[in-house]
Amino acid sequence: MNAPFYKFGLFGDNVSLIVAFFIGIGFGFFLERAGFGSARKLTAQFYFTDLTVFKVMFTAIITAMLGLFYLSWMGLVDLSLVYLTPTYLLPQVAGGIILGVGFVVGGYCPGTSCVAVSTGKLDGVVYLLGVIAGIVVFGELFPLLGDFYTATPMGQITLPKLLNVPYGLVVFLVSLLAVGGFAGATWVEKKMASRKGEQPL
Amino acid sequence: MKRIFENLRPTHKAGVLVGILGFIATFAGSPYQGSQFTIDAQELARVVEATTDHVNPEELADWIIQGKTDFRLIDLRTAQEYGEYHIPGAENTGLTALPDAGLQKTEKIVLYSEGGIHSAQAWFLLKAKGYLAVYMLFGGLGGWKDEVLFPALADNPTPAQTVRFGRMKEVSKFFGGAPRTGASGPAQTPSYTLPKVEIPQSVEASSARAPKKKKEGC
Repeated sequence: MNAPFYKFGLFGDNVSLIVAFFIGIGFGFFLERAGFGSARKLTAQFYFTDLTVFKVMFTAIITAMLGLFYLSWMGLVDLSLVYLTPTYLLPQVAGGIILGVGFVVGGYCPGTSCVAVSTGKLDGVVYLLGVIAGIVVFGELFPLLGDFYTATPMGQITLPKLLNVPYGLVVFLVSLLAVGGFAGATWVEKKMASRKGEQPL
Repeated sequence: MKRIFENLRPTHKAGVLVGILGFIATFAGSPYQGSQFTIDAQELARVVEATTDHVNPEELADWIIQGKTDFRLIDLRTAQEYGEYHIPGAENTGLTALPDAGLQKTEKIVLYSEGGIHSAQAWFLLKAKGYLAVYMLFGGLGGWKDEVLFPALADNPTPAQTVRFGRMKEVSKFFGGAPRTGASGPAQTPSYTLPKVEIPQSVEASSARAPKKKKEGC
């Protein structure tokens, strides 16, 4: 997150940690102000009554995608320098499912649980302890899981390379997906709100 | 048209904007076009003049002692020379194999060779290919031996030099070297320009092999 200054050696590990601290505080602050410190708000998306999380995440993805595409197209950003996380298909699918189940059951994702702890929510504290316990268990079991952890490696793959289509086309399709997703999410929210209204409380 | 857009709610405006930008992107071509690298000779010359393309042996020693892992240390000498002695943590890559050595363009790369010429050539090679954070070890392995492995105190040291020597003695021990004391020190110092194939070289190399074992012991 501290790239490119850290990577180019403009500051070292220590300053990098200080910068990370302030970025973390800022990130947590805005998560809290957006209401993401509440498990009710976060789990509401799984009942389709409040899709704010979906919308915020998609907005971030779209902003970053269009921003990087056009900045790079103008020659201001060198996309070949952007680090791509290597894909390991099966372990990442498994990890996604585990995180998703934990999200539904616990009401937080790891980042938002820290936000919840900072405002003194007890369920957030329990969740965070669970996260730490999970990290310890995973670390201890790693010798057994190591082979699966690096199974089905696909390298630093991108959608345009995988589907062999022009880069811009993928940008357009994801943009359409976002606009459609937003419209759909708003429609679903309204639908759920009216159904809730019909039910006697 | 303008009025219709103005009457839209902010979210819808954003949606229209995303649609338009996405549509144009389809015809914009590959964004990697912007990645073509051109050498700015003036800029390179400035970097060379300001010697910001250098890492001092002392600095490098500090990084290794601190256990820093945010840089790749590349030994450009032959595999045989590398086998005899290399700075702890260094990877051996020949000059021709350098572009295929799996280095990332954003990685901090420190190059060294016996003297300074090969690493300077490799530095320019990588810079021309768009690698951003490439550095040379000042004085090459010769500089490393003089300053880190076998540091010497000047004949009439200033207090600052004495303090520095005291520190370097410890650093030298860490890497399995031996500080040289007494006025004869500088006389023994092999010059960078001399080819290092004579007897002192082999003596240095054999005594310098010690840190490797020490590291394995840990």
